[in-house]
Amino acid sequence: MKLDLSPQAAWQPLPTSQWNEDAARHLLRRVGWAAQPPEVDRVLKDGLAASLERLFPAKANLLPKPPLIARLEEDTPAYAQKIRTAETREQKQVLQREQRERQQQAMQNLVINWLQFSSRPENAATEKWTLFLSDIYVVSQEKVNNIAWVFQHHDLLRQHGLGPAPALTKLVSRSPAMIRFLDLQDSRKNAPNENFARELFELFVLGEGNYSEQDIKEAARAFTGYRLRKDEFYFDAKQHDDTAKTVFTKTGAFTGDDIINRAYELPAAGCFVPHEIVKFYLSEDMLSPDYLAPLGDWWRDTGYDLRKLALRFFSSQMFFHPAFRGNFIKRPSQFYLGLVQDLNLNVAPYPRHSLNTLRLMGEETFRPPNVRGWVGGRLWINSGTLNARRQLVETIFNPVNEETLNADEQRALVAARAEGIGTFTVEDDRLETMLQSMSTDQITARFLDYFLPVKISESYRSDVRDFLTRDTATEDKRIARLRATAVVVLQSPEYQLC
Amino acid sequence: MNNLHRFLPTTRREFLSWGGRGIGLLAFSQFAPSFLVESTLAATPSPEKDRSILVLVQLAGGNDGLNTVIPYEDADYYRLRPTIGIKKEDAIRLDDTLGLHPSLAALHTLMQDGRAGIIQNVGYPNPNHSHFRSSEIWETGSDSEKFLPTGWIGRFLDNDCTGTPGTAGTGGDPVAVHVTNELPQSFFADKPHATFGLRSGGGRGNRENLAFLEKLVKDDDHEANANASFLRATMMDALVTEQRVQKVIGGYRPESAYPGNNFAQSLRNVAALIASGMSTRVYFVSLGGFDTHSNQVNNHSNLLRTLSEGLAAFQQDLVSKKLDSQVLTMTFSEFGRRPNENESRGTDHGTAAPLFVMGSGIKGPLHGTAPSLKLEKNRDLSFSTDFRQVYATVLDKWFACPTTQVLGKTYEPLPFI
Repeated sequence: MKLDLSPQAAWQPLPTSQWNEDAARHLLRRVGWAAQPPEVDRVLKDGLAASLERLFPAKANLLPKPPLIARLEEDTPAYAQKIRTAETREQKQVLQREQRERQQQAMQNLVINWLQFSSRPENAATEKWTLFLSDIYVVSQEKVNNIAWVFQHHDLLRQHGLGPAPALTKLVSRSPAMIRFLDLQDSRKNAPNENFARELFELFVLGEGNYSEQDIKEAARAFTGYRLRKDEFYFDAKQHDDTAKTVFTKTGAFTGDDIINRAYELPAAGCFVPHEIVKFYLSEDMLSPDYLAPLGDWWRDTGYDLRKLALRFFSSQMFFHPAFRGNFIKRPSQFYLGLVQDLNLNVAPYPRHSLNTLRLMGEETFRPPNVRGWVGGRLWINSGTLNARRQLVETIFNPVNEETLNADEQRALVAARAEGIGTFTVEDDRLETMLQSMSTDQITARFLDYFLPVKISESYRSDVRDFLTRDTATEDKRIARLRATAVVVLQSPEYQLC
Repeated sequence: MNNLHRFLPTTRREFLSWGGRGIGLLAFSQFAPSFLVESTLAATPSPEKDRSILVLVQLAGGNDGLNTVIPYEDADYYRLRPTIGIKKEDAIRLDDTLGLHPSLAALHTLMQDGRAGIIQNVGYPNPNHSHFRSSEIWETGSDSEKFLPTGWIGRFLDNDCTGTPGTAGTGGDPVAVHVTNELPQSFFADKPHATFGLRSGGGRGNRENLAFLEKLVKDDDHEANANASFLRATMMDALVTEQRVQKVIGGYRPESAYPGNNFAQSLRNVAALIASGMSTRVYFVSLGGFDTHSNQVNNHSNLLRTLSEGLAAFQQDLVSKKLDSQVLTMTFSEFGRRPNENESRGTDHGTAAPLFVMGSGIKGPLHGTAPSLKLEKNRDLSFSTDFRQVYATVLDKWFACPTTQVLGKTYEPLPFI
């Protein structure tokens, strides 16, 4: 499909005449996880502009702090004290081990709560946006080694992710997780560490090629003195280099915030986040700079307002162009959450069927592979990860075998059910209802038109219909047939796309 | 099932013969898995079939070691386990102090024939009591304090040791096969390897679904985009392997009577794949339910019987097929259980435990030392053999692979091989 838009027309709103059911599904799958029928109806009724205003509210819903994160924050100072004052080496090791274990449990608690929260339709767009920002402002639990800080970091992205980008970047420079991840706390007046300054220019604001090594060296001096005290940012004036620096051809006794302001004065800052949005939401094949330039100029004039950028991008002719329909590979978290939404399920409350599943599909939550985050696209797919995706579908269509769960998992299951979270798999009664209320053609249409993002051929449709109606002598066989059809359609290459 | 329309050749020979029948190779190669096309073009011979194979058997949930190998002369054992302890007269005598749980009769016979052994009291320093974490430690082979992103088998495959098949699907066979729902962490690797997941127990009855999926993968009449084509090609590769595996399993005639349970049937399927001459080096099978916190006597007894009879049928099958010299089987569990029983006539999470090794020419039957039970309530066993010594033995003596590259340091091997 040829991209036949002019750079001027590209970012103009989609004409109302082209706002239809297909466009609505494209929107929902790309800004969120799936196109659930009631959500499709809703955005069609409300219209594109009003829907985007709702999907990207000025204030996003905030993920409540998971109980084990709260406990960790509360107990950590006391633990640290105990570890410091432990009398023997052995006691110290025992305490350290306990602390690591609590980190691990808190992490599981966080991931599961995050998945549950994200799977709610009203949070899908903002949580995906937060995921997008966390792929720019990357931190990894691997190095941060404090899951409460990792939670705080994402909370910050959630709270300020739809405001002005410069303000967000300044907050990120004070985020404890980031300070540890990019070694700011080791940056001293006489020995500035360049890690943060480099990533600030390369990965947060400008992109490679828009700064010199000298700019980094000078900027690093401005970020000296950023410290942590009692889990919070603290500025140590004694460790701060307050002498003159020359960054991007201007000289002054710049502070860290000044440097961030200087970076946003450069034209390259306008195109950087749009470039990242394209990569995260639209296509692995980059758009030519001719397209990005006008959007970048416009965004700069808004004062780098992230919400305005989202509203404009997701309503543009570019975003809805046929060249970008149904051809983007779902990241593992979207594959998982999309299944949960498409099948109206709840997120399983134990790691084996959530955290571990994501890891097997190649996305280890809160542990991106490096400072650049995930490359994504085709790199998500190999025989192993594809197998894991197919396995997940099988798992979701078979009842939880509670006998094979260990005691921790059984406890988690009981606790979740007590909170009314209990639908983790597609049970027979739901398939039965479907069989009783829908015709074969309706079921085929439901599977192919709701689940798959591409227009499928008549022969494909008739293959599915034939399979669905083969060997259906008894009720049990009909249910088994329906289950098998759903499983195969959701395992198909097409369902890996959005 | 055999009259189902087949869409693709499943072996290289079949593929070549299709080519010979005038089906254009280039026209075909659009759908054919890359390994078939490549090996046809290069006309490379298949790799040698003689190779050592490891079968890992996971006892998931934490197997109660003290009720597996019973110190029947130790008064402390009966002090710690007044109700669930195995009585001296019930234990199958191994030597003057130790006996096997009565459910392990079949394994005991193997030991008498020199085909199985026990490594006692295996664990690691600073043990962790979480299922999740302790499994991770066992499967990655890490220290308790360290987190490793890759598994010990994965690193074995990464290291391309002597006799390790190539990474890019030599001959199209998966290098490692797991008969579990999830890819075991042991298989996590830095480089991509062709691994394959076989459904636990059966695996049959799915062939029709598989054929249907394959049909959908091939049906690309609708407008294709580059990513869709890429996904189809990758999935086709995986499906061809799966179809071939299903064919092998469906047509297998075992030489011993496997019990009907899932675990034994999984082992039967592993035997089928081994007998078919696939170049796979590692198989991973799991038996769950060992997390016996309450009323464990009957449960544990049944689990051990399932284990013992399944393993014995598997070994018997391999012996009859003269494959036994190629295959080493080894059990492991994330931890053993607390020496003292709890208030619910069960046991809580513990530390070290014995594990079984099985194969022709296993030396033994007992290796390492039994744990001391001079313990107060709620204290744990202290391990005497590090689990990585077992891995080192397997890597070094079985796979002829430099162990330090895989395990990070050197561990003293054990004399069971």
